[in-house]
Amino acid sequence: MSKPLVIAGALAALVCVIPYLVADRYVFHVAIMGCVTLILASSMNLMLRVGQLSLAQVAFMGIGAYASALFSMRLGWPTGLSLVAGGGVAMVFAAVLGPAFLKIRGVYFVLLTFAFAQAVNLIFQDWTSLLGGNNGLYGIPKLELFGIRLGKPGAFYGLALAVALGWLALMGALHRSRVGAVLSSIEENEDLTRSLGVNVLAWRIGCFALSGLMAGIAGGLYAYYIGFLSPQAFTFHTSVNVLVINVIGGVASPLGPLIGSILIVPLPELLRDVEEYQLLAYGGILILFLAFFPRGLIGFLAEARQDAAGRRLGRPIWRHSTKRTK
Amino acid sequence: MIQLTEQIIVNGILSGLVFVLMALGFTMIFGIMRVVNFAHGELYMMGAAGVLVLYSQWGIDYSLSVILAALFTGVVGVAIERSLFRPFVRSELNGMIMSLGVSICLQAIALIVLGPAQQAMARPISGVIRLGGAVVPLDRLAVGGIALGVIVLFQVFLKYTRTGLSMRAVAQDREVAALMGARVQSMAALAFGIAAGLAALAGGLMAPIYSVAPYMGELPMLKAFVVVVLGGLGSIPGAVVGGLIIGLVESVFATFFDSTLALIASFVIVLAIVLVRPRGLFGKLQA
Repeated sequence: MSKPLVIAGALAALVCVIPYLVADRYVFHVAIMGCVTLILASSMNLMLRVGQLSLAQVAFMGIGAYASALFSMRLGWPTGLSLVAGGGVAMVFAAVLGPAFLKIRGVYFVLLTFAFAQAVNLIFQDWTSLLGGNNGLYGIPKLELFGIRLGKPGAFYGLALAVALGWLALMGALHRSRVGAVLSSIEENEDLTRSLGVNVLAWRIGCFALSGLMAGIAGGLYAYYIGFLSPQAFTFHTSVNVLVINVIGGVASPLGPLIGSILIVPLPELLRDVEEYQLLAYGGILILFLAFFPRGLIGFLAEARQDAAGRRLGRPIWRHSTKRTK
Repeated sequence: MIQLTEQIIVNGILSGLVFVLMALGFTMIFGIMRVVNFAHGELYMMGAAGVLVLYSQWGIDYSLSVILAALFTGVVGVAIERSLFRPFVRSELNGMIMSLGVSICLQAIALIVLGPAQQAMARPISGVIRLGGAVVPLDRLAVGGIALGVIVLFQVFLKYTRTGLSMRAVAQDREVAALMGARVQSMAALAFGIAAGLAALAGGLMAPIYSVAPYMGELPMLKAFVVVVLGGLGSIPGAVVGGLIIGLVESVFATFFDSTLALIASFVIVLAIVLVRPRGLFGKLQA
């Protein structure tokens, strides 16, 4: 590991323990939401690794959130089981849609996933009998794991942090393994990869399903933490937020979303006194990064360093120009 | 029943014409620059906000206000294209993310200047008229008529002027058009400016009918998006036909069901189109 990356890692570790040092209810709240956002951003990062920008992740998050809440409320399942099962439902959605969706590439895939997320959100709003519609779904029980009730924010943060870091560790291992090499190869040159006998579509579907599971579990954590669900939490704005995190952190490494989340999630809290300028800062940062650091902070840190093969590390969020569709 | 049918058709066409006004610019930006412009709704909002300031606050004549707001937004559009979008022309994804950044910034500026509240303005035209069996508010009819006029003018411009020809050439094949002497970069700036002006015109015309707010552009952007995917990204005739189809479909759904269901239906149409026929009704295969 290069020195800048080690320093970045150490800083990240410090940021993760800050909530325990401060032990303030509000800081815990921001940190828990940060973990949920990080998992969602990481699920988008996984799809970007195979070269596809999915705006459907927020829909999978919503599906996971509503499913796990309903499993425990309507069917009376234990909350821990419901959390995992909710993620499973989101994964099934992704796996079933995958074969049709992932044949579409480039900008059309983005439009497709955008339309899917919009439709899912409108269904959340319209299906009032089951999901509560815009009035929301109330009365979600507190999460209980192995008989321990995670009611206190400190305890819940511990779980959320463990899940988030566990995912990141898994993504990191995947990144360095042969699987990661296959994924990078799919992103870099799909035709060549296919010519080597790799079933590209199957790999893509696998990534989509795994990213759906991740997003669904993020949704479940959100549902049990907030205790109330409304379609407002799963709109296009959430998608844009995790996209900005990926742009700023960088998409070349699983650490990108971590760095992006640490920088972006507390931003509204830091700009509280100048509330009307929050949105402007947010958009301005996005434009500045696109214009000057298209590889994100991870890419910027690794820019000078080259790997053994002499390749530059880090890549822009999108390498290719127009691809032929159908 | 016949009356109801006539009412549904008139409502559908009148709102469809406004969708066309939005969709024309959206599709032209994609055709020439390969950028899916998520900031299109904010250009609509700029038009409405401009009219709010000029007509409601400064007391300038309404029609003059609409024209000035559209021109101003057009100039801003050219500036945005030159400064922010030009590095990302034909790099579809980065261009799209840039448009998100522009959209957020324009909303933020509106929030700072106008404040978060919805602001209504006096209606310059009032009263209703009977068209066959349908009752139509006069202001909606005026908006539809002006939109129709501008759409026809725009088609004449594209078909019969050298600039229009050169724009269509750039949309069709950038390299060949450049070889034939079309000024590719000026065409992109001009296209973005015209698109911004058309969106602002739609916003300015609709401003007295709805109220003005920083986030008012989101729904029209979604409509334009649906229309353009249906008609085919980059296709001008597709935007016109698509706009009218979506206007009519929505009018039917809004009459018999509710408007959320109408939106769900339109997104299901988008999903089906992208999956089965990504080029839409009129789009061409893109290399």
